Amino acid sequence: MTWEQFIYFAIAAVLLWAVGAWAAWREKTTLAYTSTVIGLGVFFSFILMMWISLERPPLRTMGETRLWYSFFLPLAGIIVYSRWKYKWILSFSTILALVFICVNLFKPEIHSKTLMPALQSPWFAPHVIVYMFAYAVLGASAVMALYLLFFKRKAIAVEEFDITDNLVYVGLAFMTIGMLFGALWAKEAWGHYWSWDPKETWAAITWFAYLIYVHYRQISTHKPKLALWVLLISFVLLQMCWWGINYLPSAQGSSVHVYSMPS
Amino acid sequence: MWTKPYGMKEGFLIGGGLIFAGLMLELSVGPVDWDAFRWPVNGIVLAGFLALIAIIFLLRKRVYGFQFIGTYKAAIPALVFAVVLTIMMGLTRQTVDGVWLNNMLSFWPFVLTYVYIAVILGQIILRRTLHFTNWRRNIPFLLNHLGLFLAMTTATLGNADMQRLKMITMKGEPEWRALTSQQQIVEMPIAIELKEFIMETYDDGSPRRFASDIQILTKSGKNIQTTVEVNKPVEVDGWKIYQYGYDTQMGAMSQTSILELVSDPWLPLVYTGIYMMLAGAVCMFILGGRKRV
Repeated sequence: MTWEQFIYFAIAAVLLWAVGAWAAWREKTTLAYTSTVIGLGVFFSFILMMWISLERPPLRTMGETRLWYSFFLPLAGIIVYSRWKYKWILSFSTILALVFICVNLFKPEIHSKTLMPALQSPWFAPHVIVYMFAYAVLGASAVMALYLLFFKRKAIAVEEFDITDNLVYVGLAFMTIGMLFGALWAKEAWGHYWSWDPKETWAAITWFAYLIYVHYRQISTHKPKLALWVLLISFVLLQMCWWGINYLPSAQGSSVHVYSMPS
Repeated sequence: MWTKPYGMKEGFLIGGGLIFAGLMLELSVGPVDWDAFRWPVNGIVLAGFLALIAIIFLLRKRVYGFQFIGTYKAAIPALVFAVVLTIMMGLTRQTVDGVWLNNMLSFWPFVLTYVYIAVILGQIILRRTLHFTNWRRNIPFLLNHLGLFLAMTTATLGNADMQRLKMITMKGEPEWRALTSQQQIVEMPIAIELKEFIMETYDDGSPRRFASDIQILTKSGKNIQTTVEVNKPVEVDGWKIYQYGYDTQMGAMSQTSILELVSDPWLPLVYTGIYMMLAGAVCMFILGGRKRV
């Protein structure tokens, strides 16, 4: 299995997810579930075959993490859908997944077979997978914030804010787990659980930023629009943590997390 | 301003005041000297810090400012200051011998802001513990907040007791001396002899595996044959032994292996905090969604 075959799996999965999204709008719940789940199965079988042919989990390059991100968006979508029955969530997750699939199709990166010894750890897969899931759910909350801030003309309904809060709680929970898994792994790999490596610094920033949102929402006199802005800013900081530091001069040469081509 | 009840504005002023105090300290006494916190100093400081938190809590009915410290309106500005300072840290290159923003971990305003967050955490933890009514809400709350408090304070105070030493082992020669980061020689309670250094590569020449077959002899009388590998350290008598480096000129033929020996006596406390936060995060995922509307 190589990236050349990716497009076939991607098209099949996106079509199935689109059918699921359409079914959710038409309130055909069973079809929404089955179509989305089959789409996830198709997409995951590609990941799995990549895993086997690379002889390592496909989690190392940016392209590979995007692969997981495209997988987790519809997965997060279907979980949220099953829990709170939002009709729009599957359309949203499908579109976002499509964006990341397109990035991978049009800007594929080197995907070599090698995995340096520092990454050969049982912590590697859970650390990245949990983080990608968190990013997916927090991405959903950011879109919710965008919608409520710029597209909704009427006043924000309580239920809509509850959706946003629920997404943030789930995302923050996974982000915390991903961060702490990273700390436990770092102790095994580098001798210390937290070294303020640039990636860790930005992970702390992102984590605190979401804590601000969660706590600010608890104040009964808070300003809803300001809360949504906090959420958007947090998501920008998350981008910095995820890929922004690759371009940050202060992080070059000093981070074990800066994704680079195998030399 | 400064009319009761205090709001976010007062919260920002208190946080800003701390940053100002931090700047004054930085100018007058210089950066925070973390090396001075070696045992027993860090133990005493921790006891004093816990006492301070308890006193602030006990006096909260008499001193309004102390009561205010335990509210969201104090916590949020503190978090905002922490984010801003940490962003500055993320944007500047951090060096051990740097000053001000280039060595944020020793920069007083940064340190004071995080200490302030720990004080706030202390207040709300005490309050929740004393008004423990609803386990479903309070258990996750305490796991998250007490876990963070424990991990933060013990990691920071315990850092001075952490020892990270390099031991250069050569094939067939037992070694018991190690080097500190300042290149000082330290005699260890354990001796290590390199039996074989192992380096495997992929087809394209990039490294696949670094490992050292070693024999460990301890003063306590242990004799252990084992393999240390990247991501697979070995623990002996409170020391974790890591594969660190090798003779890069010789590559796979290297006759030396550099091991890192790490001792961190505060680790169990930090890990308790980390595991509490992990449990708290799982609770947040399971219970977080079902909120009052």
